[in-house]
Amino acid sequence: MKWWQIRKRDADLERELQSDLELEEEEQRENGLSTEEARHAAQRAFGNTTLIREHIHEAWGRAPIERLLQDARYALRQLWRSPGFSIVAMMTLALGIGATTAIFTLVYDVMLRPLPFAQPDRLVTIEEKVAEWSNLYPTLPVSANHFTFWQQHNRAFDSMAIMEQFSVPLGAGGRPMQVEALSATPGIFSVLQVQPALGRAFTVDEAQRGHEHVAILTYDLWQGQFNSDPGILSKTISLDGFPYSVIGVMPQSFHMPSIQTMDTNGSTNHLFSVGILIPLTFSKERLAEEMGDLNYFGLARLKAGISIAVANAELNALQHAIVANLPADEKATLSAEITPFQEKLVGNNRKPLMILLAAVAGLLLVGCVNVANLLLSRAVGQKRQMAVAAALGASRAELVRMAIRETAVLAALGGGLGVLLAAGIVPGMQRYLPPALNFRGFLHLDWLGVGCALLLAMLATLAAGAAPAFMISRTAPQEILHSDSRLTSESPGSRRARRVLVAIESSVSVALVLMTGLLTASLVKLMAVDRGFTTERTVTATVDLPSESYHDNQHRAAFYREVLERMNRLPGVEHAAFTSNLPLMGDGWGDMARVAGDHRPFTQLPLENFRSVSPQYFPAIGLRLTAGEIFSEGDWGKNLALVSEKTARSLWSGKDPLGQQFSRGDPATEKPFTVVGIVADARTISLAKPDPMLIYVPYWYRVEPTAGLVVRTHQDPSEMADVIRQTIWSVDRGVPVPTVRALGGMVADSVANQRFEMDLLLLFAVSALFLAGLGVYGVLTYSVAQRYREMGLRMALGAERADVYWLVLRDGLLPVAIGALVGIAIAFGSARVVSSLLFEVSPYDPVLSAGAVGVLLAVGTIACLLPARRAAAVEPMQALRTE
Amino acid sequence: MSSVKKQTQQRANLLQGTLDMLILRTLLYGPAHGHQIGKHIQRTTNDFLQMQHGSLYPALHRLEKRSWIVSKWETAPDKNREFKYYQLTEKGRKQLVVEESKWKQMAEAVARVMWPEAEEI
Repeated sequence: MKWWQIRKRDADLERELQSDLELEEEEQRENGLSTEEARHAAQRAFGNTTLIREHIHEAWGRAPIERLLQDARYALRQLWRSPGFSIVAMMTLALGIGATTAIFTLVYDVMLRPLPFAQPDRLVTIEEKVAEWSNLYPTLPVSANHFTFWQQHNRAFDSMAIMEQFSVPLGAGGRPMQVEALSATPGIFSVLQVQPALGRAFTVDEAQRGHEHVAILTYDLWQGQFNSDPGILSKTISLDGFPYSVIGVMPQSFHMPSIQTMDTNGSTNHLFSVGILIPLTFSKERLAEEMGDLNYFGLARLKAGISIAVANAELNALQHAIVANLPADEKATLSAEITPFQEKLVGNNRKPLMILLAAVAGLLLVGCVNVANLLLSRAVGQKRQMAVAAALGASRAELVRMAIRETAVLAALGGGLGVLLAAGIVPGMQRYLPPALNFRGFLHLDWLGVGCALLLAMLATLAAGAAPAFMISRTAPQEILHSDSRLTSESPGSRRARRVLVAIESSVSVALVLMTGLLTASLVKLMAVDRGFTTERTVTATVDLPSESYHDNQHRAAFYREVLERMNRLPGVEHAAFTSNLPLMGDGWGDMARVAGDHRPFTQLPLENFRSVSPQYFPAIGLRLTAGEIFSEGDWGKNLALVSEKTARSLWSGKDPLGQQFSRGDPATEKPFTVVGIVADARTISLAKPDPMLIYVPYWYRVEPTAGLVVRTHQDPSEMADVIRQTIWSVDRGVPVPTVRALGGMVADSVANQRFEMDLLLLFAVSALFLAGLGVYGVLTYSVAQRYREMGLRMALGAERADVYWLVLRDGLLPVAIGALVGIAIAFGSARVVSSLLFEVSPYDPVLSAGAVGVLLAVGTIACLLPARRAAAVEPMQALRTE
Repeated sequence: MSSVKKQTQQRANLLQGTLDMLILRTLLYGPAHGHQIGKHIQRTTNDFLQMQHGSLYPALHRLEKRSWIVSKWETAPDKNREFKYYQLTEKGRKQLVVEESKWKQMAEAVARVMWPEAEEI
């Protein structure tokens, strides 16, 4: 029944009772009673009309709603009367619920929200494993050769596709714009179960060399760059310098997550989402390579009812078949690994997110405990009121209801504010989404998040309201009503409950503080680690050469040489160099060096990371030369190489590496390299671990269309961005320069995620500490007020003020200390989870653990000081006379 | 507090369900308002059943909710005031038959225990 109906019926009832009452009155008068007497008699006959109405309300079935409204009204009135308490409690809950909801939204979006494809649970990624190379690459992308074999022989998959993603210049002349292109085999459409909204998908013919110049645009690109041109299908666009005919436009709902392959492994350089789809084709030679070209991202759709384990077993069997046919000099142990697509995209972001969620839930718990504590002190104050209610016949259930309704209203208000808070925070977290998962558009608080907040508010009501409600429900009215109101003190049970609550707060706070400390120490160490390269006054830029005009190594090398010459002539430039891989932007190209005289099959050879660089690369980033010399422009065309210390030690242990020779691939056809210098080991791939074996070859030997430029300047590098672009464009205006950034900024960005986690944890830990301090203060202030006379008595009997001081301090700090120990135990218990996120810091670090306890004790002591001083300031005479 | 509670519970009135039957039966004569129904039951039983208003009105509303009776505001024939008249519905008539037979069964069962006939001993 709706409330307005209730109101109408209530008026109706009122009228009915009134008319019948009047009738009764009339009849009584007719019996000879006076007006006055008649009215009294009628009223007596009717009895309590309010009670009748209540019973009728119950008959209507509206009682629960009315009671709820009444409860809410009553609770609001109560809360209004003590605004200080209400605001603190409400804000505490709002903060806890809001922060938890926000983090939950982030976690849900990253880990749980189904990918926007049909039956996303059947989408899996495929990776290859080569046992011989597992030390450097635990898993590898897929080879075209193996993929073709799987495609012909598998039974577990509906469809499969391989693909790679890269950015290409779109448009001709002037300054072309960069778009992200997904180059995929035609199977992609059946794997993802999407079809273009306009036009058609790739045909099998278009996946053959020479027919591949067709493109499908995403809706956003079509709308943004081509003004939703309805005639787009007949048009030709210039992509990478080549003409491509547009054959389709994807639906608006199509969003492709960024994928990572060898080239982009570990880097976060996919700043934009996929804008264009083109067919992936292979040359005959590529397809024939049985153990090379492990380069493509494999994506497949499982057949309905086929489990990952079954599919993986089948794929492993196929891999065995491939191994059996490998020529002797390429023998390797192959297997495959299938992972759900979503899990692969989440990658190693899972653990930090779970830790954040746990931390924020901890903060919420501390908040609830604090509110419970505040409610407990209020409950003591309301004891008399409750005792009166109990004496007047309120049942135990009614008492509990009375006790919990304030908490419920607080939690409802807190939850409402929390939702607002979360709605404010959530959009700001967008930039912390892992790049691979940041493809779904704007992050916002949705109904799921609101539902989460609602659930949390309910949980908070239970968590915070249970203890006070339990205490009140055990109210024994006689006891309280008989005792002198001024003497009523807190029951031992309630006092114990409050101490336990303080201990809980303390333990969670210590665990949070310790966790924050560990991550902060890790980050500090990570930033202070000897990187082996310098970042001062160094700017980097990336360059994408259009394949059409720079189709081979000669053209590309000539372009780079020209740019370097012009750069190095600029007044402010100290060193300018090209490198195939900028520091901390991926690990680049892996290959096997065959030392002269080594005749093992190439799959048994050690795997090194190769990069091609120009001579100035080493001084430009301060990479130290430990022996020999750097090749120079004067050596143009010669196969010279520098190796890292680790490479030198592994390949030529005990010998002088300088002057030694090695070759890539077949020594019969490939010209060998001569080692001319040794470079110090550094951390250019990841700050967290030393680089694997590195080999530097000159850029005239091999250059990719995409390369990085490193410029070390004499002056402030921030002014260099424009100069660098202009210099490159002075050589060729058609070359896109997508990014220009300071190297120091790249180093900072490589730890941006850790920093974000640390910042949030720090915020949570500080909030938890603050709340814990508030809790201690509240408990102690209350207990001091209760023991006012006791303190007076103690002092009258000769206790010194210092003794009283200590008494209160000890009283307050004991639960804190116990909680701190429990918190350390919790943190140590979860060490296994945390340790993988730490860098050169043990999860059991004694200094940090002691520090966390120390911080908590300090906060606890500060919280104790004021109540202790108040206790010590008691005037004995006055205290004893107050009775 | 529990003793207080018990006292209230001891104030039992008519047998649960009987009142409903009596009201339905009364309304068989035609529409009536609350006061009339109460008075009628009281008079017919020679004041044996004292009508508690506290039970009568909730019962009326309960019956109305179950659609056994309907109500309507009408001016009383002898007075120029409106009263809320209750009227038996078809459903209510059927219910009355059901209640009546149930009551009969009940009364017979009680009677058999209280005043057993000779052959049954």
